[in-house]
Amino acid sequence: MKKTFSIGGVHPNDSKISAGCRIEMLPVPQTVYISMAQHLGAPATPVVSVGDRVKTGQVIGEPAGFISAFVHSSVTGTVKSIGPRPDLAGNKVTHVEIAVEEDEWAEGIDTSETVVREIPRDNAFILDRIKSNGVVGLGGATFPTHVKLSPPPGKKAEILIINGAECEPYLTSDYRIMIEKPEQIVIGAGIMKQVLGGPRTVIGIEDNKPEAIASMQAAVEKLSVLSPSYSGIEVMVLKKKYPQGGEKQLIDAVARRQVKSMGLPIDVGAVVQNVATSMAVYDAVMKNRPLITNTLTVTGDCLPAERQKNLLFRIGVPFSFIIEQTGGMPENAVKVISGGPMMGKAISNLDATTVKGSSSVLYLTAAQTVRRPESNCIRCAKCVEACPMGLEPYLLNKLARNGMMEELEQNAIQDCIECGCCLYSCPANIPLLDVIRVAKGDVMRAIRARSAKK
Amino acid sequence: MNRLLVSPAPHLHVRTSTASLMRDVVIALLPTVIVSILFYGWREIMILAVSVVSCVLLEYLITRFLLKRESTVSDWSAVVTGVLLALNLPATSPWWMVLVGAIVAIGVAKMTFGGLGQNLFNPALVGRVFLLISFPVAMTNWGPVQGFVGNADAVTGATPLGLAKEGGVAAVSSLDYLDMLYMNIGGSAGELSAIAIIIGFIYLLARKVIRPHITLSIWITVFVFSGIMWLADPSVYTDPVFNLLTGGILLGSVFMATDYVTSPMSTAGGIVFGIGIGLITMLIRYFGSYPEGVSFAILIMNSTVPLINKAFRNKKYGR
Repeated sequence: MKKTFSIGGVHPNDSKISAGCRIEMLPVPQTVYISMAQHLGAPATPVVSVGDRVKTGQVIGEPAGFISAFVHSSVTGTVKSIGPRPDLAGNKVTHVEIAVEEDEWAEGIDTSETVVREIPRDNAFILDRIKSNGVVGLGGATFPTHVKLSPPPGKKAEILIINGAECEPYLTSDYRIMIEKPEQIVIGAGIMKQVLGGPRTVIGIEDNKPEAIASMQAAVEKLSVLSPSYSGIEVMVLKKKYPQGGEKQLIDAVARRQVKSMGLPIDVGAVVQNVATSMAVYDAVMKNRPLITNTLTVTGDCLPAERQKNLLFRIGVPFSFIIEQTGGMPENAVKVISGGPMMGKAISNLDATTVKGSSSVLYLTAAQTVRRPESNCIRCAKCVEACPMGLEPYLLNKLARNGMMEELEQNAIQDCIECGCCLYSCPANIPLLDVIRVAKGDVMRAIRARSAKK
Repeated sequence: MNRLLVSPAPHLHVRTSTASLMRDVVIALLPTVIVSILFYGWREIMILAVSVVSCVLLEYLITRFLLKRESTVSDWSAVVTGVLLALNLPATSPWWMVLVGAIVAIGVAKMTFGGLGQNLFNPALVGRVFLLISFPVAMTNWGPVQGFVGNADAVTGATPLGLAKEGGVAAVSSLDYLDMLYMNIGGSAGELSAIAIIIGFIYLLARKVIRPHITLSIWITVFVFSGIMWLADPSVYTDPVFNLLTGGILLGSVFMATDYVTSPMSTAGGIVFGIGIGLITMLIRYFGSYPEGVSFAILIMNSTVPLINKAFRNKKYGR
């Protein structure tokens, strides 16, 4: 039987409308704005000045802490300004504005398409390449990859899971790279496997992507013949269920291990990396290519078939430019989302720029997304059945509305992964996650304050 | 340019709503309603009409004029209560008794607690048990009633469980299980046809309105408990198949024990709840003074739901 995670989950229609669209190159606009806060942790510090000429792939931001990342210019041009600019939610973040000129790559970057398969033996060199090329997790959290690949002393990776679940409806960028760049992904997995000391390595893909499964299996077979670095890498077919791509759920599905509350995957010997991250690791290590491009899906039920796209974009391109290049926003769209419909962010500012983790421009109509009025909880337990963390959202909602902090913590609100299954499945339209998210923030602050005092 | 809607994730929502779920319960009850009308004719139509209309109207009046809130009748839950109450009454019930049942069900058991979602006890069952205690003779008057099919005598005057209580196992030895399965046993409208109820059960499962754990744990408990007793002394205790097919076990286990509001939240809790209902039902049937105990069993277990919700929880991830 195909594996999946053991607790909860929901089955939204997967709506992978753009699955058949080959990845196309998005043109570069006149101006790009590169955010210094594209990763989890401290924003990078700009290291260029207004008037500087920068090349494609040149460092323009340096990490400002242990959990932080390098930021590179995705274009060649002149720095026009450095300063605060609203991101997609309207929050002011430092951006470097660059007026684009003729593309010229920085020295030392291999821009050819030749696939390099011989993994360097020096792990320190590999980790340095991953760090200096600004690789972060592209599955959603944008956690700096080199940190995740350096387990703290005493902890050992026993399983490396490459996340090809892409469980969010509509998104197809991971699917496309698994079909078009399978070798690069497997080589990236081989590199990470070596750095982690050769743990069991599993590429997890949901069963609604048979072509991706076949393509990845073929790549693994081909490479394992060429080099022992790739032998033993498994492709595991998973039974489709949201949120399979959640780190905790994927570890449960693949390895039947559960991360303890407030713990990290490495505590149970697991490291999870997205397929797009794996490709970025390949680019960084084998090509010395920084993370300056990514793939995103332009989709939605209200978008005509010929305008559905999977695009390779230069990071820092404004969303408005992507929308303009793909024929504009459909008439009946009311919401534009960056990310999937279950966990993605609604964009309030279309002039905001893409970042390393941008995975989609998704249009939703009013009928799809406008919330219906809330009514009484009928205690149907659908939220309890849906919660992949085994929590009781109906109870957390009630406790939160009454401000019962201690009870919220006892009932494990801090374990919530904000996947949205509860709100999605509630027939009474109670904004469960909205309430829980806010209360979880309060509880987390209280927990942190308490542990700081100790 | 379009105006942008901004709200927190998730941005999609299931198509089901409280109203669609409740409407599905009504649809699942239709086979049983049709069988009861065929067998009890115009009287059953009158009872259904009085029950549904008074339940809906009462909820409307109470929300609008007593509580001064927006009416909640569009959620179909009052219709469910109305149909269930009607199916729990004998076909001989006078209209005023049905009305009293509806007033207790909606007025007392549901709206005094705050309406749908807040009530501790299943409203239709509270209505039925109130009538059973207040009007014991009328509530056990099984006819004869002339229906649209067959003649009035085809439906016996007493329920199989009533016969068994009076005359022991010998009194029901001539009854045919196939009759029970189809439609031919005396009792409340909802006790007529096991097949009709099972069709409704399958519909509810297929539409994912309910999960089967509560219903099945009641069936298994009734079957196992009565099986043990029957094996111990078949001359005193009725057999397990008889106990599953007669009385309110099927209607109660499919439509009333699974009531969202008054059943436990977790799977384990639901199973404990079902076992409790099965055990109490059989204890009343074998040793109590009433021939049937499903209503009491469900109401008693309803009162334990808050405790069950505390004691039996789903396993949390990583804990």
